[in-house]
Amino acid sequence: MPSLKDIRRRITSVKKTQQITRAMRMVAAAKLRRAQEAIESARPYANRMRDTLVEVAASQGSEHPLLAVRESVRNVDYIVITSDRGLCGAFNAAVLKRSEGEIAQRQSGVDRVAIVAVGRKSSEFFARRRGGQIVARVSGIARVDIGHARDIAAAASERFLSGETDEVVLVHSEFVSTMTQRPRVVRLLPLAPEPSESPEAKAPFTIEPDAESLLRLLVPKAIEIEVFRALLDNQAGEHAARMTAMESATRNTEEMISRLTLQYNRARQAAITKELVEIVSGAEAL
Amino acid sequence: MPLSLTIVTPEGVRYEGQVERVVIPGSEGDFGVLPGHERFLSPVRIGELEVDGGGRRWAAVSDGFAEVNGDRVVLMVDSCEFAGDIDTARAERAKMRAEREIEQLRQQHDEALGFRLEEAALQRALIRLQVASKPHRPM
Repeated sequence: MPSLKDIRRRITSVKKTQQITRAMRMVAAAKLRRAQEAIESARPYANRMRDTLVEVAASQGSEHPLLAVRESVRNVDYIVITSDRGLCGAFNAAVLKRSEGEIAQRQSGVDRVAIVAVGRKSSEFFARRRGGQIVARVSGIARVDIGHARDIAAAASERFLSGETDEVVLVHSEFVSTMTQRPRVVRLLPLAPEPSESPEAKAPFTIEPDAESLLRLLVPKAIEIEVFRALLDNQAGEHAARMTAMESATRNTEEMISRLTLQYNRARQAAITKELVEIVSGAEAL
Repeated sequence: MPLSLTIVTPEGVRYEGQVERVVIPGSEGDFGVLPGHERFLSPVRIGELEVDGGGRRWAAVSDGFAEVNGDRVVLMVDSCEFAGDIDTARAERAKMRAEREIEQLRQQHDEALGFRLEEAALQRALIRLQVASKPHRPM
């Protein structure tokens, strides 16, 4: 039976933890709002770009090397995106588990699987794991901007064009809502442009200088956007997951405090009763 | 004003409205768009965008694409800042930094070029000496 003092100390300590979890929840909520805004802001650009790409690629017959599917796929790169920090529930674990499953399935059919680890949790995970060698790491992204996406996309494209890899797969967390984040696996290279909605038949564009040069500029941009989207989703998902995790942690501390308080009161009552009994029995003895 | 203009960047929609005319810095040169323009698609280079709709406004745009579709113009660019929104101090700093880097690279490049020229001169001299040491026979 813990003493009164022990229980009191315990309550104070849990209260301090609660302050931390509550503050973290609030910070995550603020960051989540910004991250959601960033997703919303990027959407019109991404949709526009995709529609244009689809139309130009269709009129051109997908001649661009970054769109060409290779007959034999021997080397595959996986870009696995996680957060840098933990304390966000099963957010990173879900992505890592999914990517591990994907890689295990794929590994038997290809010569080599390489990992591009984005986020510290991803690089820590794949450093421990055998098979699938890390070829690049990216971390320390405080706030995602298109520049980060450009670097990752450019590096992936270069490896693809030089023949170091025949396919690049992106594994990241998709931001569905504050409550739901889902791992998503998508082929980044060769890029398969998908229309955002069924395009109506239109008169062909007059393209300047010509479709081929335009495609040469358009395709790298489209790849960039795909990576950008993944980074933004990851960012929003991380904050959402942390917010939810900290919310339930705060709830747990509340529960714990009320249980401890009850215990404390009971112990106090017991001590008082014991004292009374002693006094009474002492008086009776006289 | 019958021309609808939309400017989108990865950071969001920068402009959406009705205008009379736009002049876009295309990769092949500036081009003006008036209502009723043909369906047209062109890369956009870093340059000045002119928007004419009840007074003219200018914006600094960087790489991207312009899509003209009947009376709709869509600009997809990396960035777009209207004259009043530009942080000139930041731009000045970026300018200085870039100039310095370019100067440095140019020096390195010049050295590399000089090296290649000298190497070629050396090779020519060596070959001449090598050939000169062979028997001299009249043709």
